[in-house]
Amino acid sequence: MSLKSSILKKSIWVFHLNTGSCNACDIEILDALTPYHDAERFGVKLVVSPRHADVILLTGPITAESLPKVLNAIEAAPRPRIIVALGSCGSGGGIWHDTYSTIGGVNKLLEILKERGIEVDAVYYVPGCPIRPEALLYAVAMIKGIVSKKREMKIYRAD
Amino acid sequence: MSIKPVKLVIIAGKKGRVTVKYPFQEPVVTSEFRGEIEIDPAKCIGCGACVRACPPNALELLESEKETILRYFVGRCIFCWRCVDVCPVSAIKGTKNFELATDKFTDLYTLIVHTRVICELCGTPAETVKMQRYITEKVPISEEYITTCPTCRKKQFVEKVATRMVGFSELKK
Amino acid sequence: MPNPEAVTKYIELAEKNSGVIHIEGDTVHIMVPSSKLVDVADAVFNKYNCSFRVCAGIDERPINGHFSLVHLFTDDKAGYYVAIKTYLSGDNPVAPSIVSVVPAADWCEMEARDLVGIEFTGREVYKLVLPLWWPSNLHPLRKDVPYNYRPELRIESEKIGSSSEYGVIPLGPYHPTLHEPEYFELYVEGERIVDVKYRGFHVHRGIEKLAESRMSYQQINFLAERICGICGFVHSTCYALAVEKAAKLDVPERAQFIRSIVLEVERIHSHLLWLGVAFHLLGYDAGFMHVWRARERVMWLAELLTGSRKTYGINLIGGVRRDINEDKKQKALEALRELYKDFKSLVEVALSVPQVKRRLTGTGVLPREDAIKLSVEGPTARASGINKDARRDLPYAAYKYASFRVPVYSEGDNLARALVRVDETFESMSIIEQLLDKLPSGPVLLSDFEIPEGRVGVQVVEAPRGGDIHYVVTGRGAPYRWRVRAPTYANIPALRVMLRDQPLADAPITIASIDPCFSCTDRVVVVRDGKVEKIKLIPVV
Repeated sequence: MSLKSSILKKSIWVFHLNTGSCNACDIEILDALTPYHDAERFGVKLVVSPRHADVILLTGPITAESLPKVLNAIEAAPRPRIIVALGSCGSGGGIWHDTYSTIGGVNKLLEILKERGIEVDAVYYVPGCPIRPEALLYAVAMIKGIVSKKREMKIYRAD
Repeated sequence: MSIKPVKLVIIAGKKGRVTVKYPFQEPVVTSEFRGEIEIDPAKCIGCGACVRACPPNALELLESEKETILRYFVGRCIFCWRCVDVCPVSAIKGTKNFELATDKFTDLYTLIVHTRVICELCGTPAETVKMQRYITEKVPISEEYITTCPTCRKKQFVEKVATRMVGFSELKK
Repeated sequence: MPNPEAVTKYIELAEKNSGVIHIEGDTVHIMVPSSKLVDVADAVFNKYNCSFRVCAGIDERPINGHFSLVHLFTDDKAGYYVAIKTYLSGDNPVAPSIVSVVPAADWCEMEARDLVGIEFTGREVYKLVLPLWWPSNLHPLRKDVPYNYRPELRIESEKIGSSSEYGVIPLGPYHPTLHEPEYFELYVEGERIVDVKYRGFHVHRGIEKLAESRMSYQQINFLAERICGICGFVHSTCYALAVEKAAKLDVPERAQFIRSIVLEVERIHSHLLWLGVAFHLLGYDAGFMHVWRARERVMWLAELLTGSRKTYGINLIGGVRRDINEDKKQKALEALRELYKDFKSLVEVALSVPQVKRRLTGTGVLPREDAIKLSVEGPTARASGINKDARRDLPYAAYKYASFRVPVYSEGDNLARALVRVDETFESMSIIEQLLDKLPSGPVLLSDFEIPEGRVGVQVVEAPRGGDIHYVVTGRGAPYRWRVRAPTYANIPALRVMLRDQPLADAPITIASIDPCFSCTDRVVVVRDGKVEKIKLIPVV
């Protein structure tokens, strides 16, 4: 989508959305802003309201209690909406992907968003537990087009 | 008026710039870091020990009629390397790779496909060919048991013992 | 070390109340009928001055057809754990509430009510842990409910309250000062906070039920580490120590030393994190950046020793997975020396900045009597004059081989809590140097062992925020019941007293001064500060 690529050539303002994570990924997000990693080189800034956000950083396996509030926050973000699902909890539901209190990762959330008519333009997955600040910077650089992705699906035959 | 706060500026000046300009510079990664795992398809026997040890079920065994697939989902991996500890043939190796971000969900899978042994007597699939070869190399098993599934093996064994002890052909009448 | 003479008073107490007593190691198990529960709890808490830790409800119907309820106390002066257990009927479990004599037991009773279905008499009840729309007859921790059964999702949230006399400010669940989702509703009169309503539990993930069903003993170490991302190694070590105590395993000494060293590294990183965040909340961002710059070296040290910057993953039942060789030891000592020089000059300057010093002094005062009644933990207790530290009172791992000072201040305000943490950081650096010096040789992991069924293990470990307790009942292949209580849970009631009559601008730093870790906790607190009324708890309905 050309609107997305022209916007993202400039600074990216991120909104940090914690949907019930253990906080390890969240303190590594804060760590990415400190002098050793300095995410502000890419123009990344943490904003206070989803209405100012370009990219939503999602951590945590979305819990049943926080689901309505997460939907409100994502709906408040203006188009183009880009969600970056951080960590093992965000990408695949985490170590508790099938308990009674969680819904199982960002893919289930995308289904619920589609049912309600909220469109998401791109989703990025960043595995890690917790993610390194460098992995987050790698994802930001990938969104801006500086580096290309390295991980691909591999199928092998064992015999 | 205290001039102590100004000392912070002096401290900052002495430290200088500490930023490591990743991705244009190499990041600081120690020798012990645990990154992604790599499974060697030539060594893997499809036994499932890693599947049982994995806390978030990132490694799964998917079984179909003819094949068993070991699927590694790096999205849910917690990088604990328990699979590296428990693999009996040391087929799993750890790497220092952490640059795993992607925008396509299927990029996060790695599949290893094994063929299964089909039972000669009843036709149901049993364990994988490579696991059978691994077991028979360690423990001598007679020919007739190798090509059958566990249920048929049990039946065969019981019949043999019964024939020797009671004279099974007598019982059949 | 436990003092054997101190046990006689518990034997007398059990006999007087028709109970059965059984002493194993440093744990005193007392089983009483449910009618005597309140008297025994009163004697243990008020007469013998034990600290209350947690209560747990257990569904024992597959074993003996009953439910049971366990209250856990610790006798800090004598070094004993005291577990008071009572059995309840299997069809309709009803227990008397001990809140009238032990005010700190409020929330864990409500959690037992939500998750196990035990009813309590003699108190107000409310829904605490599960979402408000959860069906009231579905209790996830009962043995006949599968762990992955999800009732139909209802996507609706509560409406913001309204009041005609006070202004209403909704704070959260997503707010720039908060790292975790929690919802505060502040009722203000001008600049003064009058009432606070709080809805938490956005981070409840069903960990205790998961451990009983899908997991095995060794896998739960990794699950426990992810209860909290900042103090995760504490939970993992506490679980391993509790199971090893229950199964009476002889863990190699070198493994215990390595566990203590990594625990202290985690304490340093957590206190530096708190200091940075506190500066950020006060508006002093330069201090935040400098402290986190110094902290980065501690993260590299943790990665060198364990393999990961956070969620270390080196604990197993029976020992640890990684060793410390001579090269790592030298690098660790060098990193600590640099950190000492860096941090010492930094903290002197940063704490003398006028906006920091004047905003921290005299705000958020917690008097000593309230702190004792509410059984607060960690730096919050030590800043109010209570000399309590589980590393010295109930020694575990290798702490008996290190000598260290426990800093205690008596003012009880925000500055005292900050200074306790700064002092503890320097003490931790000294402990690590002592333990690295005395490291014994030998293996680091026990290989051949069995964990028998039906044993009980209780263990307290001093986290950066206070005492963390794990209670394990062993089963076959996985624990039968595992109860975790993190320290922030005991500190949040103290917010009632600390936020009394405070201006609105001081609320964030006061809340942050107890170092809340809501992913460990998820509890409800309500503050009412009237002009003439006393403080009392109001349930959130």
